[in-house]
This record gives sequence, C-alpha cells and structure tokens, in this order.
Amino acid sequence: MAATLTSPSLRGIHITKTYGDGAKRRVALENVTLDLFPGQVSLLMGPSGSGKSTLLAVASGLLEPDSGEVLAEDQGELRNLWAMTPKQREDFRLRTTGFVFQGYNLFPALTARQQLEIVLKWGGYAGTWEARRQADEMLERLGLAPNRHKKPAHLSGGEKQRVAIGRALVKNPSFLFADEPTSALDWENGQRVMELLRDAAHERGASILVVSHDHRLLPYVDVYYHLEDGHLEERPLTAAGH
Amino acid sequence: MGYALQTLWHERQRYAPGVLAVTFSAVLIALQCGLLLGLFKITSIPLDQTKAGRGDGVDIWVGSSGTQSVDLGKPIPESYLTRVAGRSGVSMPEFYIANFGNLTKPAGGTELCYLLGSRMDSDARGPAEVLTPELRAALTERGTIVVDESDVERLNLDHPTKRAKINGKEVRLVGTVKGLKSLAAPWVFCSLDTARYLLGFILPADHVTYMIARCDSPERARQVVDQLRQEYPDDMCAYETVEFSTESRIYWLFRTKAGIAIGYAALLGLIVGMVITAQTLYSATAASSKEFAILLALGIPRWRIMWMVLTQSFWVGIIGVMLAYPVCLGLREIARLGNVDVDLRIEIVGGTAIVTCVMALGAGIFALRSVRRIQPMDLLR
Repeated sequence: MAATLTSPSLRGIHITKTYGDGAKRRVALENVTLDLFPGQVSLLMGPSGSGKSTLLAVASGLLEPDSGEVLAEDQGELRNLWAMTPKQREDFRLRTTGFVFQGYNLFPALTARQQLEIVLKWGGYAGTWEARRQADEMLERLGLAPNRHKKPAHLSGGEKQRVAIGRALVKNPSFLFADEPTSALDWENGQRVMELLRDAAHERGASILVVSHDHRLLPYVDVYYHLEDGHLEERPLTAAGH
Repeated sequence: MGYALQTLWHERQRYAPGVLAVTFSAVLIALQCGLLLGLFKITSIPLDQTKAGRGDGVDIWVGSSGTQSVDLGKPIPESYLTRVAGRSGVSMPEFYIANFGNLTKPAGGTELCYLLGSRMDSDARGPAEVLTPELRAALTERGTIVVDESDVERLNLDHPTKRAKINGKEVRLVGTVKGLKSLAAPWVFCSLDTARYLLGFILPADHVTYMIARCDSPERARQVVDQLRQEYPDDMCAYETVEFSTESRIYWLFRTKAGIAIGYAALLGLIVGMVITAQTLYSATAASSKEFAILLALGIPRWRIMWMVLTQSFWVGIIGVMLAYPVCLGLREIARLGNVDVDLRIEIVGGTAIVTCVMALGAGIFALRSVRRIQPMDLLR
C-alpha cells in the first residue's frame, strides 16, 4: 500500500442533515465527522437509507448540511465548502472533484473518447487537440484504447463504468466521489473498477470516497466507515463480514 | 462534427417532430408568400411584359404624382417630355396610355376593362413583348384590340364577326395572347391612337398616362429617377421598371388586405412550428438530464449545456429549412400544372429561412427551462 497518512484533505465536522418537518422529520446525518486523506480510498457502507448518499453529497459540495462544516483543501488551504458562493463551489468542483455513479450516465451519441474530451473542453482544461491527447492517454490507462471510437451502446457494462471513471479522472481531480460504482457490474468487472480507483488514489494522490453495500470491496480500500441511523464510525478493515 | 449536431443525428427519431415542424412552417410561409406574390404579379403585367421588364435594357417610367400602381396613373401633360428628354444616357421618351374603359359586350352587358395603348413598332419600349409583329401590324388600324385568350369568352368575343364597344366606340378583336390574365378588369392591348380614340374626352388633349425612356445602364436609370424625384417632387413620379412593378404588387397586396391575411396565416404556422419544436427540444433535453447533471456535478458551467441546446435548436432550424425547399419547389411545379404561379424569389426563400431559424432558436430558448431544472443531486436520489 503506497498511501501515506498526512493531514486530511477533506474534513466533514459535526455534520447534521435532516429531511422533512414535524412528524415526518427524518435524521439522515447526526453530528457526523469524516476525514478523507490524500492517496487513500475510503469506503462508506451501511444499510439502505442510512444516509450514505447524503453524506457523499454533503462532502462533495452538492447538498448543503443543516449544520456543520466541510473543509476541503483547495489551492493549499482548507476552505469551508458551505461558506462559498454557489459559483465558487462550482469552480471548486470543476478544479478538484470527480464523480462516478451507479448509472454510467454516458451520452448515447458520443464515443468513449468524446465522453472524456467534453469534460476537458467544456471545463476549460484543454483545447481540441490537447483534450484528445489526454482522453486517449486516459483510455489507454483504463485499457479502453481499442474502444475509443465506440459509443455506449457498443460497450459492455464494465467498459461503460470504466469510461465513466475515465471521465471522472481525466481532469486529475484531488477528490473523487463514487456512489455504488460496482453495483451494476459482475464481480470481475467490479474488481477491475476498484483496482482503478485504488490506483488513482495511490498513484495520483487523490482522496476517494466510495459508497457501497458490497463487503467484497474491503480489500481494495484503506479506510472503512460504517454509517447507520445517521451515526458514522470508523471500523477496522478486518470488519469484513460483520 | 459538433456534439450538438452529433447528438441530433444519433437521436434523429427523437428530434424528427421538431425538424418536421420547422419544415411545415417554412413550407407554409414560403408557399403562402409565393402564391400571393405570384397572384399579384398580374397587377404589374403591363410593366413585366415590356422589353425592360423581361431583361432587355433598362427603362424609367414617369407618371402622375403619387402613383403607387401602374393601373392607377392619372393623365400628365405631354410637355413633361422636356423634363426627361435631353438628359445624357436617356433616350427620347415614348408615350403610353393606360386607363379604364367601359366595354359593352356584343350580346349586351358591360365589363370594366383596362386599356393599354402604346407604340407598336419593334423598338417600342411600351408594348407587351408577346404581341407578335403580325398582331402589332394589325393593331395599327384604329379601333382594333388584342386581349388574353382567357378573357375572350368572358367578353363574348368568341367569333370574328362579333363586335364589342369600348366607351361607346366599336372595337374589333384582331388576335389574342397567352399568359396575360387579369385579376379583375381584362387587359386590352391597343395602339396609342386607338387608346386616344376610345378614351375621347376622358383623356385631356395633349395628355398621356406615362412616358417611358430607355437608359444606358441600371446605374444611370437610378440616377435619373433620383434626379427627377428631387427636381419635380410635387407633380410627377418616376420609377425604374422593376421598381414600379414591385411597388404595384405591394400596393395591391396591402390594399386588398391580403398581406394582413397572409401575415396571420404565417404567424399561425410559426406558432404551431414553434410549439412542436420547443416541446421536442424540451423533452430531448429532459431525457438527457442525467448526462447533463453529471457534467454539472463535475463543475461544468450550466451555460455550456444551454449553449448546446441552443445549438441543437439552430441545427433543427437549418435542417428543417433544407428539407422545406425541395418540398416548396415540388409544390410549385404542381401548382404550375394548374396555371398557378408561385413566386419563390430569393427574398421569399431567404426571408423564410431567417424567420424559421429564428423561430427554432426561440423554441430552443423555451427548452432551456428544462436545463435550469437539472440538479446534480438528482443523480443521488
């Protein structure tokens, strides 16, 4: 394992998030504190409806908590995401954050290469030719070079998820949030996806948070969090099967 | 190929209703305008059938002040000739008489007709070019006339022995022409002498309706027209042939309120096209909301997505218009079989393209509502 423990690159401090009012009020997160470190893959598990996706959304700057802070490293300093303006948060996500979701959400009309290029070009990272070069390089690393001209309809589920990972990684993000990235895949492809995420953390120093139900992912992660009834606890990696 | 166009092609079945709606609007607008302009060409036949009207040289027409259509000219003194003659690059003007006459049919009953009296020699600028040398020779005899073959029956002149009267004076039909149909009063072609004879006191002595002068070049014609308008703003008008023709058609287009009718019909076509196109773009954008949501999650600015939707709407407009043109041309040919002229001139074709593309862009702006509703959080629900 190449990860080194340094100071956290993202800290969620005393986060509380509730949904609904009155009798319908439901606590999704209660006083939750979460640290993500550079170069580490953190796995967040818990039963359905335990608030896993809510925590991912709060930590990634997509959903505002009721209280608490999310401090994320941005240009050398920790900044509170929820003290930023929406535009600043959008810029922060553009500079630093990648996402992978259970549904691949690839544009049906675009080739594998274009799915990556669009992020680089529209995000202002690169011009046409540089975007193409970087997209090809990423597809090569993901073992998708022969599929670069294929559209999603001609890719398998595993290949589509790898393209989605490529789309998240192509801008070299500091943070990567993955919501159930393997749940639609068979185990062989699921392992491959986790290897890619682990490599992205260990080789690129990214902080990665993976939300999943699947205990089989534990060998691929560095930290294991369990969330239940709005409460988060860090558990030892040997907790597989608990 | 841009992402917008690529998406359009890939999901062509989804976008087809929008494209067809644009096509429908464009065909409706172009054909309606073309039909009406074709119809109102009839009002400018005396101009369009002259040598200059058919592209042989450039003429200017001088008439009474405020004349907006060729059939509305009032008598002007022949002395105005000196105002036009003698200018460099302008030939000696020739006289032209145009006036309504009251035609009494051989079997009784009357019809209003429109007399067009001009010189009949082969160099004359006034007569319709379809008048053959034989007909022109026959028309030099006082009291002879030529009408369009479609008016022969209407005027009850279907036998050589039948004689009609115009303003109470007997006339003899010496021949017919084709393609010079009238809107209301039949055109009656005759010589200057016959026109004066038939109009009698209606046309004051030493007066004509128009003077026609040939100019060396289109530029010179423009200059002379501008000079005449400047020098004599109060008691005469001056036009180039083509300009007068257009002016005549536009006058009748609006005078008859047909322009307003076509405006409403075109607006209706536009609204129908816009609603369908907007709905198509809206649902297509909503169907891609998850793909767009992930781009927003990655921090891609929302305006990029909006721009893509607007680009798609632009392409929907362009493709719709491109499909409309062959349809319009085909329908024009079918109309021609029934002797109906659809005038698809460049102004109509270009104007239709601009209007429908703007309509498609408007539909795109409407569809942006669906982009504003996309939230990255939707991916986690």
